[in-house]
Amino acid sequence: MNAAAGLDLASIPERIQSEVQRAIQRSIKGVEYIASSGPSLGSTPKDILNVRGTMNLYHYRPVSDEIYRVPILIVMATTNRGYILDMVPGQSFIEFLLKRGYDVYMLDWAAPKPEEKSLRMEDYVLDFIPDCVRQVQRDSGETDVTVIGYCFGGVLSLLYGSIFSDGPMKNLICFTTPVDFREMKLFQNFSDKRYFDVDRLVDSVGNVPPEMILSSFEMLRPASRAASQVQLWENIWNDEFVKSYRMFDRWATDTLPLAGEYFRTITKDLMWDNKLYNDAMSVGGRKADISSIKVPFLHAVAEHDHIVPYDAAKPLIQKIGSTDKQEVILKGGHVSLVAGANAIKRLWPKLDSWLCERST
Amino acid sequence: MADKSTDPVAIWQNMMGEMEKGFNAFANKAMETPEFSKVVNQVGGVSAGAQKQLGDMMEKYLLAMNLPSRAQMVGMAERLQSIEGQLNEIKALLHQFRANAGAADSGFPAAPKPPRTKRPPSAGGEPK
Repeated sequence: MNAAAGLDLASIPERIQSEVQRAIQRSIKGVEYIASSGPSLGSTPKDILNVRGTMNLYHYRPVSDEIYRVPILIVMATTNRGYILDMVPGQSFIEFLLKRGYDVYMLDWAAPKPEEKSLRMEDYVLDFIPDCVRQVQRDSGETDVTVIGYCFGGVLSLLYGSIFSDGPMKNLICFTTPVDFREMKLFQNFSDKRYFDVDRLVDSVGNVPPEMILSSFEMLRPASRAASQVQLWENIWNDEFVKSYRMFDRWATDTLPLAGEYFRTITKDLMWDNKLYNDAMSVGGRKADISSIKVPFLHAVAEHDHIVPYDAAKPLIQKIGSTDKQEVILKGGHVSLVAGANAIKRLWPKLDSWLCERST
Repeated sequence: MADKSTDPVAIWQNMMGEMEKGFNAFANKAMETPEFSKVVNQVGGVSAGAQKQLGDMMEKYLLAMNLPSRAQMVGMAERLQSIEGQLNEIKALLHQFRANAGAADSGFPAAPKPPRTKRPPSAGGEPK
């Protein structure tokens, strides 16, 4: 070892050889990358129980000989597709739940059509979710239902749980769910009341286009897309890296439009007036106070979440009315909390150990 | 073997990571200012208006050229989506029908539902 430079001279030829091999592999795999399609996502066998416009209710086919009594309804965020929770075998949260003996349903969203621009918050909270819960009850034959909401799906689940606090929700789990929208500082600034005319936008475009949603997410980390392209090129010789990159990239860019009236309410009631945090939220004239939720509650948040910063999610655990409640802060970001290698090690086992005791 | 502090590839990767973090932090600071919000929303408003005008003009041009406009293509796509939606509804109805009718009557082999009797594993890892 060259002590001054800390460099092992003998390893240099080896290192050069390895880099040359990787460069050759990059060229070969680079061509393969362009010519091939990505892995097939969301392929866990499922049945469609109901489709109504933007609302899609799926039932995943159980794989265990014996399942827990209480079925799970996952409420997906309205901005993104549900297959983030069902990537590929071995990296699918849904598959994990099925193998652990849960009966899993998912409320996933399709892009709202132009004629659905008038969908309001009440359509989501007072119609779609209750309708799906009823169908889960009918299909499973059980009265109790565990609800899991991811990101804004968590907000919708909170609103649903607040209004229907007498049941039938048995447990509530939120993943990285904001309640204090003042703390979403960049989104706050993008939608600054003084300069952002939400009425003009919604009145002129109808549904808010997915490109706008995507660019607002990407603006939170403007250098990351370019950096991830460089990382892809560096690692294109590595099939596992490329597979994972393609899965997450496809999902991240597969953003959904938002129904215009629904977006108007989100902007005015949540971003501007912070009504959920201020206990002033109501949906369709019905008060939605999260302190009225009393069921066992778990909130999983990510340490490095750039979309829902911890400060925006933190007050939820204090505000919720449950006595059996827990917040877990896990390493990772907004997406790596729920999917990918980190989630497999951290969130999924934690959720299983919490939920199994409350699913009988 | 070179350690991480002297490995040029590791140094490059570290530098890229730091640059990304630095640029993101710098941009986020800039985006937190009210000036940024003002400019972005003004530009956004103007470009939305301009886009609408351009769209109207293109529509007239395409009509004159006897070509389908974007709105018509979107209309076609919506029709397809609606057909897909109806197919999904039929599938959902079939699923319900199968579930209600049972295997013997319908001729479809209904998948048996597993019993809802599972218990949480005990501390030793075995079901209770």
